[in-house]
Amino acid sequence: MNLLQRFEVWVSLLVILICLVFLWESWDLPPGSFEPLGSGPVPQATAFIVILCAGLVIFNALRKPVQLSGDEEIKERPSISAGLIISLATVIYSLMLHFRLMPFAWMTTLFLIITIWSLEKFEKKKFLPALITAIVIGFASEYLFTEVFIVDLPT
Amino acid sequence: MDVELLFAAASQILNPWPFFLLFIGTSLGILVGAIPGMTGAMLIALTLPLTFYMDPFNAIVLLVAMYVGAISGGLITATLLRMPGTPAAVMTTFDGYPMARSGKPGRALGLGITASFIGGLIAWITLATITKPLSIFATKFGPFEYFTLIMMAMVLIASVSEGSLAKGLISGLLGMLISMPGVDPATGMPRLTFDWYMLNGGLKLLPVLIGVFAVSQIIKDALDIGQVPERIAMSSKGMLMSAKDFMAQGVNLIRSSLIGTWVGILPGIGASIGSVIAYTAAKNMSKTPEKFGTGSEEGIVASEAANNATVGGALIPLIAMGIPGSVIDAILIGALMIHSIQPGPTLFLTNADIVWGMIAACLLANVLMWLLMTSSVKYIAGLMYLPRSFVLPIVMVFCVIGSFALNNTMFDVWVMLIFGVMGFLMECAKIPLGPFVIGFVLAPLAEEKLRSGLMMTAGDFSPIFTRPLPLFFTILAVILLLWPIIGDWMRKRRASRK
Repeated sequence: MNLLQRFEVWVSLLVILICLVFLWESWDLPPGSFEPLGSGPVPQATAFIVILCAGLVIFNALRKPVQLSGDEEIKERPSISAGLIISLATVIYSLMLHFRLMPFAWMTTLFLIITIWSLEKFEKKKFLPALITAIVIGFASEYLFTEVFIVDLPT
Repeated sequence: MDVELLFAAASQILNPWPFFLLFIGTSLGILVGAIPGMTGAMLIALTLPLTFYMDPFNAIVLLVAMYVGAISGGLITATLLRMPGTPAAVMTTFDGYPMARSGKPGRALGLGITASFIGGLIAWITLATITKPLSIFATKFGPFEYFTLIMMAMVLIASVSEGSLAKGLISGLLGMLISMPGVDPATGMPRLTFDWYMLNGGLKLLPVLIGVFAVSQIIKDALDIGQVPERIAMSSKGMLMSAKDFMAQGVNLIRSSLIGTWVGILPGIGASIGSVIAYTAAKNMSKTPEKFGTGSEEGIVASEAANNATVGGALIPLIAMGIPGSVIDAILIGALMIHSIQPGPTLFLTNADIVWGMIAACLLANVLMWLLMTSSVKYIAGLMYLPRSFVLPIVMVFCVIGSFALNNTMFDVWVMLIFGVMGFLMECAKIPLGPFVIGFVLAPLAEEKLRSGLMMTAGDFSPIFTRPLPLFFTILAVILLLWPIIGDWMRKRRASRK
């Protein structure tokens, strides 16, 4: 199986799992008292069709094992570390916002410095532009959203 | 067409504040379209929270201007980088880039910009003339007509999406399923909340949208961060089309614009499909089809006229029936709902100012787009080389603020992140994201119509098969569902004959 087929199988399995959870939860919904359908049948029918389609995608992925040519293999080598950096940094940033560990502007500045500089592979000459950008965006966004758009940011 | 109302809306937009928003919207749309990886859907989803405090008229003007700008801006990167700024500009890369590399970037961009303008103009004429009669016709729709129309639209969206029909259906129906937790529309009781009070109000459109379109795109772009685009020296020479050019491209322009408009009207099909069909039609009818793919002027004109025409076309079902013509239209429906405006056939009666504002903004944004792009494309092109390591984290900050601003709760930020990861995984498996959002927006309407229809008939489904319109929509949906099998069978039969 190539990378796409592996993704097809695993994502379809995840989709099936989500649908099963929905099916389980919808099973106890009471039948309609003043309307014929009730709350359950629509989500149940929808989940059932999605499971069928996901099963079809898995079947097709397993049925046709495709060998990749050299060119395709090269295309499938993305910068995984960059993807991980931005994803993990965002989760940590959101956690810090959730628990309000620091004022919004400081947290945003910290998030931007760390993320930008690590995406630039900690090149020394990129630190100053990253620092300036982070401070400007961090404090300007807090001012803009709290003073102009009157949003109650987690500070 | 209510000319007086249209003029009133246009003159209201020309007031300083709405005009400023139109200008900002069009400019930002063009800029975002010109930055690879940023899309119009992403921009509009991120802008939605800023419109909470705006007058609905101004909010709609801003969002429509962004829509027009973003579709047009994609041609800059498509031409100069062979990297479509927006998915709609993918066909422009085939001829725009070779022409730009052959030393005529100004000519390639000029043809694209003017074709975009003409395409937008022709679609606008259709939008302004047929939307109201269509909405009057749609007021005659009963619940079963609406339900079958939505189901047909979902199958249509799934069938033309990237990947297989099954993947399109997974995406659309999963979007529908995810929209179901919360208060049951018929009984008013909570359902599918997993006994978690945060889900009593259901999942909100905005965090889901930002997650699926913006966060997933940021993760995807981060994976491609190492790609360095090849630079092409930019010049504005040959930017304006001459009368001779108009004579040579006239038929192609009109045909491609009409194709784009028609594709836009079909529910859920975006600009990408419009430009593919128009490009193919232009190639088939060209006297020099061999030039396509090597820098053909006809190719650039067909692709750009069609993708901009889909904007006006896609607004027609949105205004007339409340059915989104594209993904961005689904977001616009969300914007209307956030401002307590119910999209649908009665929109002309209940919010005529908003409707005509939308129509007038579409025209004025097109004119502004042409002026801005013709005069400053040379400078906008510089944006393509902005380092992604700086852009992506900044956009992520705006995603977090945008989701948080909805209810001032971190729950929406977590919802956004979960759907961001989910959207990214779906993209990895080549499951299209467009049907997911359209399904999410349309599911409550579809369920409400089905259940109210069944209440009227005491649980009898037969009107779906006995009334002409529901029957027509059902047959169409079945044909679309069976089309891959029929097509496969026909191909095999043709091959066996040979």
